[in-house]
Amino acid sequence: MDLQLSPDDLAFRDEVRAFLRENLTPEVVYRSHTEVHPPNEEDRRWWNSVLNRKGWAAPSLPVEYGGTGWSPIRRGIFERECRLAGAPELRWQGLRLIGPVICEFGSEDQKKRYIPPILEGTEQWAQGFSEPGAGSDLASLKSTAILDGDKYIVNGQKIWTTEAGYSELGFFLVRTDTTSKHGGISMIIIDMSSPGITVRPIEMINGDPSTFEVFLDNVEVPRENLIGEPGTAWQQTKFLLANERTSSADIDKAYGDLRRIRAIARREHKNGRPLIEDPGFRQRLTQLELEVEALEWSVLRVLCNAPSHHPSAASASVLKIKGSDLQHKLTKLATDALGPRALRLYTREQAFNAQISALWPGYVPGVTHDMLYMRACSIYGGSREIQKNIIAKIAFAM
Amino acid sequence: MDFALTDEQKMLADGAARYVRERCDLESRRKAAASEDGFSRRHWRHFADQGWLALTLPEAAGGLEMTVEDMSILVEELGRGLVCEPLVDSAVTCAHLLSASGSEAARAILADIATGEAIVTLAHLEEGDHSEYDAPVASRAERIDDGWTLSGTKTCVFYGASATHFVVSARNNGDDGYGLFLVAADADGIRREGYSLIDGTRAADVHFDNVRVPASALLHEPATAATVLESALDRAVVIFGAGVVGSMEAVLELTSEYLKTREQYGKPLASFQALKHRMSEMLVETEQARSALYSALAAIDSDDGQRRRRAISGAKALIAQSGHFVIGEGIQLHGGIGVTEEYAVGHHFKALIVYDKRFGDSDFHIERCGQIPAEEPQAP
Ligand SMILES: Cc1cc2nc3c(=O)[nH]c(=O)nc-3n(C[C@H](O)[C@H](O)[C@H](O)COP(=O)(O)OP(=O)(O)OC[C@H]3O[C@@H](n4cnc5c(N)ncnc54)[C@H](O)[C@@H]3O)c2cc1C
Repeated sequence: MDLQLSPDDLAFRDEVRAFLRENLTPEVVYRSHTEVHPPNEEDRRWWNSVLNRKGWAAPSLPVEYGGTGWSPIRRGIFERECRLAGAPELRWQGLRLIGPVICEFGSEDQKKRYIPPILEGTEQWAQGFSEPGAGSDLASLKSTAILDGDKYIVNGQKIWTTEAGYSELGFFLVRTDTTSKHGGISMIIIDMSSPGITVRPIEMINGDPSTFEVFLDNVEVPRENLIGEPGTAWQQTKFLLANERTSSADIDKAYGDLRRIRAIARREHKNGRPLIEDPGFRQRLTQLELEVEALEWSVLRVLCNAPSHHPSAASASVLKIKGSDLQHKLTKLATDALGPRALRLYTREQAFNAQISALWPGYVPGVTHDMLYMRACSIYGGSREIQKNIIAKIAFAM
Repeated sequence: MDFALTDEQKMLADGAARYVRERCDLESRRKAAASEDGFSRRHWRHFADQGWLALTLPEAAGGLEMTVEDMSILVEELGRGLVCEPLVDSAVTCAHLLSASGSEAARAILADIATGEAIVTLAHLEEGDHSEYDAPVASRAERIDDGWTLSGTKTCVFYGASATHFVVSARNNGDDGYGLFLVAADADGIRREGYSLIDGTRAADVHFDNVRVPASALLHEPATAATVLESALDRAVVIFGAGVVGSMEAVLELTSEYLKTREQYGKPLASFQALKHRMSEMLVETEQARSALYSALAAIDSDDGQRRRRAISGAKALIAQSGHFVIGEGIQLHGGIGVTEEYAVGHHFKALIVYDKRFGDSDFHIERCGQIPAEEPQAP
């Protein structure tokens, strides 16, 4: 075992820090640190292109397609530094979900067509998996894509499709073979501006729409937009999830949250002294700091393929459960630290343009908005209950 | 002891339940939240017509002299239906401060509270304050010939932009404590900046710039103000707590119904044991909250300040904590629909957060309880 970062990794960290210092502006940093959902889209696209110029846009893609070739540790360092510096969080759907799938399973034409705009951030993607009747039980999805000459005719309805309203492209799960119950599911790329697509925003609990309903009504999609062979979507989905085994721990956000909590607690007061010195508050904060630090080691163990006493296939679920539980607790502690100020509604736009005053300091906007939204983190990406079912099955054959 | 509702209480609860069922759907709630007031003037008139605003007021002011218990029965039903109106702020908290005052001006306003014409709200919290119970109060009251001038800035004043009157805390140079003053909201020198809160209610920052008020505006002298305010806050905490218990009951009902109708993996969600257990845990917590509420109701009029404090603060903390679990899990068991504005469970969650953060949060109240020793069990 060697549980230390190497000198090279530390030098890399300094290089990343210097780059971030040079390239981020205070306005962008402020907007990122508000942690609103959805984040500012222009900032993300701009940052995507800035990183691409440096060759750093796509740590999750293979090197030959524009990836960075970093070790998992370096990638972790890079993401942590970006988060803490207030860099916009790049959208996942293209860079981290469908990009790697296209590189692995896509045709040469698909790679040429779709990867460069993903690297540059000019084309953003939506993930169209869930349906009204198919949430946890994704395999029961009903949307269909029926081959008609050289095109598929797609019909159905998706829901909870994050950011679909301002995405150029979508990757959808559809049934290409309507005869079998579980087979016949394929992944298909659809241009979101195609005739027959209607998109309706869903206002979320934090007062802003970040997810959408997508109605597909006889949408014509070129046959070559199917990824791989028909009926192989599960294989692709499994690959997609395996790539992102540790991301649901949300470890970078957790560190950002801790920093935010401490910053608030230094400014707020209780019993005549800074909240951060209040024994009860310190107890709660320290407890969460310890759990986040332990979660960090759990993430590192998975990233480095550490030998495990339990089936490694269960580890993504372990990280997701702990990570989402911590998100609930961290964002609650942040709102608790604000006291009644936490009650003021800041929509995303209000948070970006908030008037800062002694009554309403700059650390207020976004805290409660984030807390409310993060109630969803134990629901999306495989709910807490489903993750528990998975662990029981994989780790204990129960 | 008898926990059964009296006939009168039953009528009150049924009337409120019927009103909520027939007139208070989520759509109208969302519309009210989007309005300038953050509540519905239509509901407000109904409240007045039903005598709900007069429930706990003294007879002399046209009130019904009913109890805090009665009011909590009403507010529990309103909480189920997510109805939020300045009922408690005006007709309980401020009405208590007014009726406990000997001032002539106070009596006149009480009658207007009963009819709904006056909306009176507490302007007490200032920059950085976390709880009404220990707010230090920096606003100033200066004596002039025929009265006072008030200066200072109050924040998180509930319904501050819609109120007709404020009860304002302010201290006179040299006095130990602060006094409580009744001030018309349209008095010269008052500026209000309104904003929405997460649950759709509206609040305001209220700036008082040398606002002149007559001598009779002083409701409570510094010697007694803090004590009277504490008992007014206690009433608000208990009654709002009943509203949260109503929210929890509504969430139990909504969620159990949803689990029975929503199917995944070819069967109703209600058939999964993990979810049955979760529903059971939610019931356990709801029962704890209701019991804490009753213990607070039993102590609300107690002359034993220690006992009252412990019961009120204890209930505040437990109701907020149980509510967080019950309503949070209510969201969880709904899946995606639970985290939308289009569905009630998320609104209940936000109403709970407002309860938790008003009057001091759970940490504050547990600490407050901890300063008072528990009673040792007595040998029979
Ligand atoms: C903010 C947000 C963003 C999202 N973004 C996307 C996106 O971009 N693309 C996309 O395709 N989808 C997205 N989703 C959808 C998400 O993946 C689903 O919400 C999730 O799969 C749960 O499905 P459901 O909402 O239908 O809940 P349901 O599956 O109906 O579940 C309801 C409840 O029942 C529980 N449950 C279900 N089955 C079982 C069982 N067998 N045992 C025990 N408990 C069970 C669940 O845990 C949950 O608590 C998003 C969701 C949210 C909230």
